[in-house]
Amino acid sequence: MKIEIKNLKKKFNDNFVLKDISLTIEKNKSTIILGESGCGKSVLIKTIYKLFEFDSGSILYDGKSEVDIDKFSMLFQYGALFDSLKISENIAFTDFINNKTNFERKVLSLMNDVGLNKSIFDRYPSELSGGMKKRAALARALYKNPKVIFLDEPTTGLDPINSDKINDLILEVITKRKITAVSITHDIKSAIKTGDNYYFINDGIIQDKGDCKKILKTKNKIFKSFIIGAKY
Amino acid sequence: MKFIENIGKFIIKLFSSFGKFILFILFFFKYLFKPKFYLKNNLSFFVNVFISSIPIIALTGIFSGMVLALQSYTGFSRFSAESAIPNIVVLTLTRELGPVLTGLMISARVGSSIAAEIATMRVTEQIDALKTLNTNYYNYLVTPRVISLTLALPIFVTLVDFIGVMGGYIVSVHRLGFNDNLYLLNTIDFLSLGDYLSGIFKAFAFGFIISIVSCYCGLFSDKGAFGVGSATTNAVVISSVLILSSNYFLTELFF
Ligand SMILES: Nc1ncnc2c1ncn2[C@@H]1O[C@H](COP(=O)(O)OP(=O)(O)O)[C@@H](O)[C@H]1O
Ligand SMILES: [Mg+2]
Repeated sequence: MKIEIKNLKKKFNDNFVLKDISLTIEKNKSTIILGESGCGKSVLIKTIYKLFEFDSGSILYDGKSEVDIDKFSMLFQYGALFDSLKISENIAFTDFINNKTNFERKVLSLMNDVGLNKSIFDRYPSELSGGMKKRAALARALYKNPKVIFLDEPTTGLDPINSDKINDLILEVITKRKITAVSITHDIKSAIKTGDNYYFINDGIIQDKGDCKKILKTKNKIFKSFIIGAKY
Repeated sequence: MKFIENIGKFIIKLFSSFGKFILFILFFFKYLFKPKFYLKNNLSFFVNVFISSIPIIALTGIFSGMVLALQSYTGFSRFSAESAIPNIVVLTLTRELGPVLTGLMISARVGSSIAAEIATMRVTEQIDALKTLNTNYYNYLVTPRVISLTLALPIFVTLVDFIGVMGGYIVSVHRLGFNDNLYLLNTIDFLSLGDYLSGIFKAFAFGFIISIVSCYCGLFSDKGAFGVGSATTNAVVISSVLILSSNYFLTELFF
């Protein structure tokens, strides 16, 4: 799905978070959103997902303003797994709560895809490490075969080795399944590795954009200092 | 000037929260009649509430009944009206203390945990996750809690009434020297179904108040760990105040 965002504005009370955002998410490509913590990256993707309403501007999904959000999926920053449910029940959440029972095979094959051992099938999220939670949350996001997946800081809070593994996994998943991906990160290494196009948000507007492979050659001063600050 | 401005801001916030709360209740009823019933969810919540609340319910009942007998003896012995104690105990318990004390205890025990749980879900984006998984949080979170608690409270109140009368009986017979058969006879004779039912009606109302307020406070909590704390406090304070104030009007209704 191609998503075009034009002059998007969004505020909370007196807090103008998105001042004027225009960007294009290309079909079956991996788009990276970069920016300092608190600049509105999560708000932006949740607005695209229709979890938030916006104040002005437009968002077109394949040219239309209406969209069935069941085609979307999101990997939340800390996984957002449901604490009271087992990993398998989390992954097959919608089927599980609607009392469908034959989800076991699908869950196991997804767990295999994201590199989770089947021994944690009946475990609870609190028993898992950060990296495993991310994997389980990714499996849950993939369960409904989304057309577009939103990834909110998939590697934040993980050690470098696990970050690398999660990046490889994401890359594999989105290319193999032909999913349009929108990822938030402030990790330049992840952006170069997993992204096609990048957008850099600063002070509520898009400061810089381009090809992920050319991030390090950027001429934008603010983005440059962000890259240095991010200790690439 | 700053001071007046702040007062103004506070009042505006108060009214907008009140409006949001009313809207929340309306939505609750909308989804109640458009149900997508998650049976497993409902049942497990009801059982949980039940098991976790029984001990404090029993303690509340027994000590209220005991102290009630003792205190009314102090007063009534001055007019040599000790024989009214069984009546006073059972009447006060069923009409007043049973529902109100149960309501306050349950708002502290269950209301706070509902608010904390849902606020934590809000902070950790589980509420957002529900929406991305095509699940409405009224159906999944609010309805089971409100229905469970609204139905559980009358049962709790009945228990408190019963255990409370037993407490009064124990103190009256073993401490104050009442005849045990006569005490029970007086209790049963005097109690009318109307007394009991007026308390049960209050129990339904309080169960609804506690659950809907706690869900609201949890769902609309502020971000961060601080948000979870204030959601919990708000849930208990607001439902307690609403219980105490609505209690007066419900009593007027049955006067
Ligand atoms: N639900 C909300 N209500 C009010 N303000 C919010 C809400 N969500 C985010 N914000 C504010 O929007 C700004 C951007 O937040 P966010 O998008 O989470 O930043 P980040 O770029 O780190 O993901 C912050 O100032 C935050 O306080
Ligand atoms: Mg964020």
